Parts: sequence; structure tokens; C-alpha cells
Amino acid sequence: MLITLAWRNLWRKKRRTFITVSSVMFAVILAIVMMSMVNGMKQQMVDSIISNTTGHVQIQDVLYHDEPTMDHAMEYSQEVKEAVEALGDAVKYTVPRIEGFCLASKEVSSRGVYLMGVIPEKENRMNDLSTRLVEGEMFTPDDQFAVIAEGVANQLDLALGDTIVMLGQGFQGMTAAGKYPVGGILEFPLPDMNNTLVYLPLQEAQMFFAAPERLNSLILMLEDPRKADEIASRLKADLDEEWYTAKTWEELMPDKVAAFEARDAQVRVFAWVLYIVAGFGIFGTMITMMHERLRELGILLSIGLKRSKLAMVCMLETLFISLIGVLAGVAVGFPIVYRFYLNPIQLGADVGEVLIDYGMEPIMQFSIAPDIFISQGINIFIIALIVGLYPVKKVFRLDMIHAARH
Amino acid sequence: MQTVIKTEGLSKTYTNTAVPVHALKDVNLEFKEGEFTAIVGPSGSGKTTFLNVIGGLDKPTKGKVVIDDIDIATMKESKLFDFRMRHIGFVFQAYNLIPVLTAVENVSFIMLLQKRPKKEMEQRAKEMLEQVGLSDKLNTRPAQLSGGQQQRVAVARALASRPDFVLADEPTANLDTESAFNLLDIMARLNKEENITLIFSTHDQRVIDRARRVITLVDGAVDKDEHFERN
Repeated sequence: MLITLAWRNLWRKKRRTFITVSSVMFAVILAIVMMSMVNGMKQQMVDSIISNTTGHVQIQDVLYHDEPTMDHAMEYSQEVKEAVEALGDAVKYTVPRIEGFCLASKEVSSRGVYLMGVIPEKENRMNDLSTRLVEGEMFTPDDQFAVIAEGVANQLDLALGDTIVMLGQGFQGMTAAGKYPVGGILEFPLPDMNNTLVYLPLQEAQMFFAAPERLNSLILMLEDPRKADEIASRLKADLDEEWYTAKTWEELMPDKVAAFEARDAQVRVFAWVLYIVAGFGIFGTMITMMHERLRELGILLSIGLKRSKLAMVCMLETLFISLIGVLAGVAVGFPIVYRFYLNPIQLGADVGEVLIDYGMEPIMQFSIAPDIFISQGINIFIIALIVGLYPVKKVFRLDMIHAARH
Repeated sequence: MQTVIKTEGLSKTYTNTAVPVHALKDVNLEFKEGEFTAIVGPSGSGKTTFLNVIGGLDKPTKGKVVIDDIDIATMKESKLFDFRMRHIGFVFQAYNLIPVLTAVENVSFIMLLQKRPKKEMEQRAKEMLEQVGLSDKLNTRPAQLSGGQQQRVAVARALASRPDFVLADEPTANLDTESAFNLLDIMARLNKEENITLIFSTHDQRVIDRARRVITLVDGAVDKDEHFERN
């Protein structure tokens, strides 16, 4: 009966209830669209970071993350291979890398470069490296030539067929030295990459660094990125912790994670502004409803309805309004974001090019992750509970004699 | 006849005014089972305060209100809610039905709070609405009823839960003559048939003429307490 009472009370003034529900609904729609857009773009950036740099999880020497030198290159041992194999289908593929800074020169010119030893087929699967080729060709694992970034080529005046000489620090104090013909030139959008990267086939780079069968990192690309933490934990448990560790992309890029968190906090503040606006809509309705029904409330108390039960009726009314508003908001908001999820907004020339430069598609991606919709429900529910405290407080302080005579 | 309510030295002083107002002064009264009593007196004589105090809606400043051997003046509010619900029926001047409930739901409401079985509750509510001549309005909401009909529903609500007594604060004040007589007939009949103690506060001569006991309050004190033989 109390539920019936609360429900029917809601429809005593249909127009007012409709307006209140609408204010909640529009706040929810706006919040859903905003969160969907922001989360979608964040996911785009995360995907870009994962595919261009870290992967989902990396196996490294236990000291490498804190001191990334060649001395902390890990042995690509049977133990590591077996630990990865044990993960089965959870791992889509692995990408081995050996990398380090060294000095590159041609004749009298020299400059610092970042040398990466890679398996091209695996890099292509991860980040389409070969599509950045602007001249020449990509090496195969057995080739013995280098592919260099366009900026490096320009600064050292290197062309296809020229020889690049490199000198660096090898494994355990060995001198790393080698000369390689330039077989291809790559163009990268980011100046940092375009002015420093030099690629060699993995085995050749291992020889250069005097670190055969060693890697700086073994990247794991996962079937389900959400399981990165779980996979990293399993690897840590399976591998000898004296030598190896496994880190997720979030552990490897704490600065990016912090930046995302800061932006998420800004978005949450904006979303809460929307919720608070909706909350005031409900609050206004509650104040009016309570004032109009003061005598009725007094009578209900007089005839024996306990204050706690009457407060529950009032709270239920607040919750009903919120629930209808949230459901309506989700019902309208979902098709909107789903439409943009299927057909992302194409970004114009300038903004689009920036995204392309960062290795992202020139689109504004939307997310339809269930938590976007669930969080709206929870947040509005919290607001409703807070707003619902007003009628509860009013009921508990109501002087029933005065109210009954109101 | 058994005593239903007994007041001893009942006083009520309002101190939240510029000058303290003595609304009740040393009221000593006893109400027996089945009595039909009108509390009369000029405005400000303390009629409503008296009903509020014996109904447990307000606390006396001094004195006792003994119902069922319990002094309700010392009862905690949470217990009083339960006590009122189980022992006292209320009829208010402005009907005060719950607008979103139908007539039968309004009449069932107190029984519902008492957690009576659903079948018994429905049967009793229908029976009471029949008694007050509204068997054809069971599923009608208050807004669709006339003032007289609403007050009859209020009477049915007050009596449905079989309270020890019913307090009615000027129940006929908003009714036309025909509706008022109709209501009084019903209440007089129920008073006899159900042996329910009825206590009215009223200015209405039509009510006073039907009462078998008339208590006159003046300045918060009992001025007269008269008994009449009526049919």
C-alpha cells in the first residue's frame, strides 16, 4: 500500500512530474553522450598507446623499468616462452624487442639515435610499421640492412644505399659497434620518433648489442585487454621473480594514466554539475509537494501512520521520479550514442590530421560500455537519496497538529 | 458501563505565545463505553485542545489521560502512534481522506497499518461503506465524491478498525443541512449498533441536539456536564 501510495502521489500533478522527470532525463542524456564521447576518445588514445608503444603487457628484466640500460636486457629463455605458452589463447601474439640509445654517424656527421631491433612481421601486426615506409623496403628477419626514420636520414644526409655507422654500449660493458646499409626510410608523425628511430632486424640488433637471445621487452598483445592485470599477475607468479617481471601498459606509462585520471576527474566534475542541476529539479518538486500536502501528512500521522513509514513514502516518491528519469534518459541516450558508435563523427581536416599524426583514426569514437549507463543510474540514485533526505527530515520534524490544520 | 477514557487534573498551557495561554484547566472527566458526547463551547474554549490531548496528538502540561488503564500522557511518541492506530478513530472537519486512494482503500488504510488479514480488511471496509450508504462508491476517489460523501467515508475509516472510541472535531462544520443530518443519523446508528463511544467537538446545534451527553467548556474548564435521554 505504501508503494501504491507513493506511486499514485507522483501522478497527482502529472505535468509537474513530467517536467521533473524530463529534467532528470535530459541530464542523464547529456551525461551519457558526454561520457560516451570522452570514454570513446580515451579508448582511442589507449589503443594508440598500446599498439604504438607498450602493448598490453610486457615481460622485462626485473630491473629494466627503473634502469633501462642494455645491462638489464633479459634472457629470452625457455622459462619465459613456457610462461607465455601457458597463457594459451589469452595471448593473441607476442612482439620481441631489443632497443637502446647509440651514436649514429656518416662521415663527419653524428647524432644520437634510438635503435630498435624488431621482427617486422610482428611489428606490422601491432602497429603497421611498414605502412610508414616512404622509400626503399622493410627488412626481413634474415636481412642485414637498417631502416631509418626520415629525420635521421635528413640530419645525417643519408640516402638509400648509404652506410650508417653506429656506436653504443652493449651488454655487460661490451662495445656495440656496427655499420649497416640503409635499405628503407620511414616517416613518423611525431618529431621525437622521426628524428631518432633506427630499425634493425632483431637478430642483427642482438648481435650489435652483444646480447644474443636477449630482449629488453617481450610485448604481449592480449585477446581481452581488460585481463591485462590478471595476465601480468599470472606471469609474475610463473616467472622467477629474481630475474623477470611483468608490467601492464598502465604500469609502464604512469604519466599517461595520471593524465587520463586528471581528465576523467574534470569530466566527472562536469557530469556532477549536470546531476546537481537535475537534483535541484527534483528538490524543487519535493519542496512543493511537501508544502501542498502538509495537512495530509499531518492527518496520516494523526491516524497512526508512523513517521518512518511516512518518510519512506516520501523517499519512494523521490526514487520513483529519479528512476523514471534515469530509465527514460538511458532509453533515449542509448540509441544516440549507439548511432555514433556505429558511425563515428569524421573529424575535419586540421583536427583529423593531428590525430592521424598521433597514429589515430581521424574520427570521434563513442563508447557503449555498460558502465557508462550503469554509472548514470547509480549517480542519479545517490542524488535522489540526498534530495530525498529533505522530505524525510521534514516528516520527522512535522508538528502533526499544526500540519493537520494547515 | 466500562470507563473508556478518564482525565484527571488535565491542564494544557501554551507557552510559545507572548502571554501563556491556559487552554485547559484541571479537567476531570470520565467517558463510558457507548456514550455519544458533544463537547461544546465558544471558540477558544479548549474543545479542540481537549480532543487533541485525549487523542494523544498533544501532550498535557499537567494531569493524566487514562485509556485502558494506561496514562497516555506519559507515553513515548513511537508508542503513541501505535496506540492511536489501535485504540482511537479520528474524524476531522475537512474530511482529510487520502486523495490518491479509493473509498475502499481509504477505509482499509488503518486496518492495513494494523496488519489485518487482507480478506477481513476488504470485507470490513465494504461492510462499513455499506453502513454509511456508499456501497456503490467503493472504487471512487475522494475528488469524485461530494463533501457529505467524503465525510461518510471518513466516518467509515474511523470506525472500520473497531477503535475504543472515535474523536470527531467539528465533523459537520463543512456540510449542508441534509448531509449533516444524514451523517448524524449514520453516526448515531453506528454508536448504537457497534456500541462505539463517540466524542464530538462542535458548535453545531444539530449535533448537540443528538448527543446524549453535552459537556460545555468555558476558558478551558468544564462549565457544565449534562446528560439527556434521546432515542
